[in-house]
Amino acid sequence: MSSVLIKNEARLGLKLVAPAVGIIGLLVIYPILFNVYLSFFDVQLNGTKIFVGFDNYSELLGNPRYYNSIGISVVYLLGTVTGTTVLGLAAAILMNQEFHFRNLARGLILLPYFAPVISVVFGWQFIFDPVNGIYNHVMVDVLHLSDTRENMIGDPDSALFVVILFDIWKHFPIAYLLLLAKLQSVPKDLYEAAAIDGQNAWGRFWHVTLPELKFVIATVVLLRIIWNLNRFEDVFLLAPNVETLPIFTYYQAFSGVVDQGGAAAISVIQLLVLVGLIWLYVRKVLKW
Amino acid sequence: MMNKRTPIQSVVLYTLVIALVIFCVFPFLQILSTSLKHPIDWGNPSLWPRVLHLEAYKELLGLMPTKEVEIPETIQRLLNNPALSEEKKQALLAKFSSGGEVFSFGRYMLNTFTISFVTGVFSTLLASLAAYAIARLRFPAQSLMANGVLFVYMVGGVLLMVPLYQMSVTVGLASSASGTILSLFLIYLIQTLPVAMYMLGNYFRTIPFSLEEAAMMDGCSRVEAFWRIIMPLSKPMLFTVFIYCFVIAWNEYLFASVFLKQYQDFHTLPLALQTLFTSKNAIWDRIMAASMLTLLPVIICFMLANRHLSGGLTDGGVKG
Repeated sequence: MSSVLIKNEARLGLKLVAPAVGIIGLLVIYPILFNVYLSFFDVQLNGTKIFVGFDNYSELLGNPRYYNSIGISVVYLLGTVTGTTVLGLAAAILMNQEFHFRNLARGLILLPYFAPVISVVFGWQFIFDPVNGIYNHVMVDVLHLSDTRENMIGDPDSALFVVILFDIWKHFPIAYLLLLAKLQSVPKDLYEAAAIDGQNAWGRFWHVTLPELKFVIATVVLLRIIWNLNRFEDVFLLAPNVETLPIFTYYQAFSGVVDQGGAAAISVIQLLVLVGLIWLYVRKVLKW
Repeated sequence: MMNKRTPIQSVVLYTLVIALVIFCVFPFLQILSTSLKHPIDWGNPSLWPRVLHLEAYKELLGLMPTKEVEIPETIQRLLNNPALSEEKKQALLAKFSSGGEVFSFGRYMLNTFTISFVTGVFSTLLASLAAYAIARLRFPAQSLMANGVLFVYMVGGVLLMVPLYQMSVTVGLASSASGTILSLFLIYLIQTLPVAMYMLGNYFRTIPFSLEEAAMMDGCSRVEAFWRIIMPLSKPMLFTVFIYCFVIAWNEYLFASVFLKQYQDFHTLPLALQTLFTSKNAIWDRIMAASMLTLLPVIICFMLANRHLSGGLTDGGVKG
């Protein structure tokens, strides 16, 4: 190719990416930097700012509520990441078998993932409703495991587990899809060879399936951590009393005694963690 | 793997499949069932309503004149008391017809549809230009942009809410309704652009370069080849990406709640539903009917796009 053609191609390329990159630069890259700047100010909702240096950070690091929400986030992450990965793997293995109505089943189990959060949270609220909910009906009236109807979502401690269960229900399908895609490409003769070696089903899972899926499982885990670290809506709409880090940040920024500078400081710290995780993802997993 | 299953293995397999499907579908059945139940029937654990009760849907869709009667707080508490028998509850409820302020569902639906549709169109269009360039052309900083797009996508909205809000206050957009809606549209654009670029980029790479080459030999310019060859070929994928962006905007709650709080006329469905839910109690039928009606367009969209979607989702590390 002549140099004129190369130059023309470069010019066209830059022209085509300009609108998208411009918007992303203005509304993502710039706000990230602006956020760092804001974290050194006392910021009001109307935009007034007073420089306070590192006060936001020192206040935050001395705030027990901050550590509490870190703790809740850690439990939330452990529960949801383990849950979605394990259930996703189980579902992938199950749906890889041949049975009647397999396509229907494969379609139905994707429903939770596709449904808008807002349209399913109230269904979950109802299931755990102390008066009408099926959960309390089963626990109290059918199984007699408890004498009193409990408000599972009203109490932050039990609500955390409802929120984890909800997240597993809602997001295991994406883990399932990623794992199934890989599972379908595992060569059949590997299983046959293992069967000839006298491996039973469990042995074949342990010695063939898991090693083949290792990489995808790691991907799923990493992606779940990245997405759930910032998950807001699923938690806030189902149980606003479960104060994971994003919920804590939201309260700091927009409710009660508004402290937008403090919220910016939380975001800066969280962003640093996130950048580390994304870097790991891009480096180890992604080949675009 | 293909060896015949024993009957026991079959039973186990089908049991597990059915259990998994029930786990996934049950909350939807619960929503549908409650939306069709009369208030006296809510405590009934069966999913089958004793009487079919369509009032909630009629009310939401504006098919019924709404009665402006409020149920007092004290009665509300009584109704929520599990010790109260169902007959007494029924008697109490009869005194207060289920009413409340008008919930203009149609308006919220239109708001949500409009902003989601506009977001979907712009995002798909801008993303297809950028994705084509990244997938096919050589230009400076190309790989930086390719990786940067994904990086940006994973920065969640929570981390950007304070600076974005402050920016719109500083520029003056937050002080008027139209400015607020413009801010929200731009925010939805950045929430959808990166993933749209990623999905389309992967797709464009699967189209053989020889097609464009042939078109260019016939005298088309690069841009013409893109519009006449690549875009028409990519129609199904463009549609899928549009649906994906549409649904992201349709579902968004965080920024809508931050920006639209004081502009009730412009509330989107997620925001309106949350407000409805927190404002009153004992409105399960309406809440559930509204949930069903919010769910329906999404289910239809995904049925239309499903074929390409599963593939598109697994190819990228798509949000979830």
